[in-house]
Amino acid sequence: MDGALVVIEAEGAGPVPDTLKIVVAGGFGAGKTTLVSALSEVEALHTEEVMTSESVGVDDLEGVEGKSTTTVALDFGRITLDASTVVYLFGTPGQRRFSFMWEELTEGALGAVVVADTRRLADSFDAIDFFESRGVPFVVAVNCFDGQRTHRADDVRVALDLEERVPLLLCDARDRESVKEVLLELVSLVLRLELSGA
Amino acid sequence: MPPGEETPQGWSFESSLIRPYSLTGGRTRPSRSDFSITSQVVTVPSAAPEVDPELELILALCARPLSVAEVASRTGFPLGVTRILLADLLDQGYVTVHTSNWERNRPDAATLRTVLDRIREL
Repeated sequence: MDGALVVIEAEGAGPVPDTLKIVVAGGFGAGKTTLVSALSEVEALHTEEVMTSESVGVDDLEGVEGKSTTTVALDFGRITLDASTVVYLFGTPGQRRFSFMWEELTEGALGAVVVADTRRLADSFDAIDFFESRGVPFVVAVNCFDGQRTHRADDVRVALDLEERVPLLLCDARDRESVKEVLLELVSLVLRLELSGA
Repeated sequence: MPPGEETPQGWSFESSLIRPYSLTGGRTRPSRSDFSITSQVVTVPSAAPEVDPELELILALCARPLSVAEVASRTGFPLGVTRILLADLLDQGYVTVHTSNWERNRPDAATLRTVLDRIREL
């Protein structure tokens, strides 16, 4: 890979890749997991965090009896770009009560994708507000179910009251080429920000 | 069964988590910045220690670099437990953990252009 990079060699294991993280947010059922999986070279990557109802991480069973615990599941995908670079896509937890996890997921991320479902556009507002308020570069991908492109991007932009500078594009979360376009849109945005000194 | 997210059929909180929790019980969780979900874990090749099966599994998985999230995913251990087990392995010198600079600073323009090229090639 070109560019200023120090590749760490781990004896015998090959280079340890540098990593990029992209957060994929959006309402329940909007297509986050589908998008995360579309380009992933490994199927069904899924990890969990066990939390108490007070949203405290559980690392120790002592005292857990009697506390109700819940499991926050994260779907994620891995895309190897080359020997020195791996991109990880992490889907945010579906339920709103797990939105506290967004902070951890967004920390150190390159940017985010908000997957919008035209049947439930309002479900995107939380994610859009979150990234806008924290200055996280993001794009909105309007997931067109069953290949329908019945909505014009401009109409969705108005309905979302989305700032002009936020890229919005139609996509099919199941389609590799379509998801590539979404990632390209996001990385291009980050490049523009980098070049403008933002 | 804990309320909330769906779990695999027949999975019992007690039976599958008692064992790894017994390894981590009482320990403080390592800082998230040392083990971010994308931090790459690699087993030190010369290491062939006598360790518990859970740790042995992790060492086997990390023969090639794997992220903390992938270690958790492949072992089935929750993230918090995974981080503590990795901290143990790191302390004992059996693995190395590398967190990308790109978590702290945005990649430069040249790198971003190369990323764009690579994505197009996928």
